[in-house]
Amino acid sequence: MQAVVLLKQVLDPEIPQKAFGVDPDRKVPQVDRAPQVLSIFDGNALELALRLRESREGVRIVALTLGPAGADDVLRKALALTVDEAVRVSADSVGLDSQQKARLLAAAIGQMGPVDLVLSGRQAADWEAGQVGAMVAEALSLPCVPFVSRVEGSDPLLVRQQLESGHAILRIPGPAVLTVTNDETNVLRPAKVKDVMAASRRQIRVLDMADLGPLDLGEPQVDLLSLSLPPGRAGAEMIEGESAQAKAQALARRLRQIGAV
Amino acid sequence: MAKILATATLQGGAATAAGLDLLGLAAELAGASGGSVTVLALGAGARAVAQSLLAQGADEVLCSEEPALAQSPSEAGLAALLEAARQVQPELLLLATDSLGRDWAPRVAARLAAGIVTEATGVAFEAGRFVGTRPVFGGKAVARMAARTKVAVMTVRPGAGSAKPPDAAGQGSGGVRDLGLEITLQPDWPEVVRREVEAVSGPRLEEAKIIVSGGRGVGGPEGFRVLQELAEELGAAVGASRAAVDEGWVPAAWQIGQTGKAVAPDLYIAVGISGASQHMVGCSRAKTLVAINTDPDALIFETAQLGLIADYREALPALAQALRESS
Repeated sequence: MQAVVLLKQVLDPEIPQKAFGVDPDRKVPQVDRAPQVLSIFDGNALELALRLRESREGVRIVALTLGPAGADDVLRKALALTVDEAVRVSADSVGLDSQQKARLLAAAIGQMGPVDLVLSGRQAADWEAGQVGAMVAEALSLPCVPFVSRVEGSDPLLVRQQLESGHAILRIPGPAVLTVTNDETNVLRPAKVKDVMAASRRQIRVLDMADLGPLDLGEPQVDLLSLSLPPGRAGAEMIEGESAQAKAQALARRLRQIGAV
Repeated sequence: MAKILATATLQGGAATAAGLDLLGLAAELAGASGGSVTVLALGAGARAVAQSLLAQGADEVLCSEEPALAQSPSEAGLAALLEAARQVQPELLLLATDSLGRDWAPRVAARLAAGIVTEATGVAFEAGRFVGTRPVFGGKAVARMAARTKVAVMTVRPGAGSAKPPDAAGQGSGGVRDLGLEITLQPDWPEVVRREVEAVSGPRLEEAKIIVSGGRGVGGPEGFRVLQELAEELGAAVGASRAAVDEGWVPAAWQIGQTGKAVAPDLYIAVGISGASQHMVGCSRAKTLVAINTDPDALIFETAQLGLIADYREALPALAQALRESS
């Protein structure tokens, strides 16, 4: 079984608001020495793939990303977690919409021989659109199961889907795309030091547009009209008091005053 | 003259509050654009709720109760949505940011070659097209986006619209129709083998007027019992940040934030939550946000209206008592 995990490198979501700026003309974030990290839910997807490989024989994991050479960092991370292969589609993804990114990723997946599962995070930690995974399913004509948190059985493949009111267990009869959400079982494991060192020596396969064959990406279908900072916040009115009890009583009074309870 | 197709999410045979808010928004946009609203109600009970949807702003309701919708909700629902889009030919397809809306929207956009805006907190009709406003980068920036295509697909968060008061006289002109599509389960479709409902005592997070929510600062599952006691007192729901879920202290269904749930209660009490923007995206629509934290530098005090620097183990029981005494 071959499983492809889609990994995206994003601007570190932990950057505090005060360090975050935007370039209103180019409509991109503007952050000094912007640290880049693996998008959080993609880490959950990778963990799920690693667990699947541990639970059944013959699972091969390919980590796939889209971006410039700097994006290799997320592939190195995946290699340090012992994925079997790492592939980068070399393209500047700025200015591409989700549909165009999905077509590029699907074209790369199309070159990998039989692929049984494609896993991606449910949404990226930068633009948070939650579109690309499902659109890759469409581009590959595969069914898609969103918000998967666990693999519950490997033969047949059973997955747990997180829903508002609980969860559902789904049987996956054939190739499919899974988008992954977090729960306590799929927090990405740390890499072992020896594997990190081994990973630095491993090859990353780079595919450029020419390698992907004739591909019609079309025009972007969405206009980004503006990107701006949210309106400033005044900061909280701090409730004072001699003790926690006194503060709690003052809070209760204030909540009544403003009609919140 | 813009036609709008909106989906109605049913829960236990009734439209959800979020679904009715979405319908309210659809009706408002139809008013602004001189258009009409068709609602697609899917699943068991669709016919029974159709009349109430007409009374709350739908001009027409399409129903499907095909059993495949419960067996393979993603694939069967997508088929139904595509059929509805074929019949209605909408300029705007509106879905809620619940699990099914988020599931269908990008796929239906791909099939219709439509531009898509997800997670909108507001939608306006401007210069002939629908413009969605949405937080990005964990709420650190705001984007305005619009489809370039003739058809636009949008998912909309709770609170972006508000339900219209039911108007028995306002029966939509188009009435109620069956979608007329037979949906057969395909062999390659993932199929639900069982569902497990998380036992929830008290109101659902999405519909709660008051939410008491805990983060890493709560320190462990036993700490959440303190939150639950206050919640019971207030008739509130209990939520959590991603950190508390990842630690395994509470079920993932409690998670509020960039993922998890986006909530819009009257009062949100954040306990031991640092205020990382991923979380704040999910609760920033609360009318009043109270932060209780031992760390005076916690980021959440920037966003909260009311702040309390205290140990929640002391503050919450005292708050419960104070509210009980003065009521």
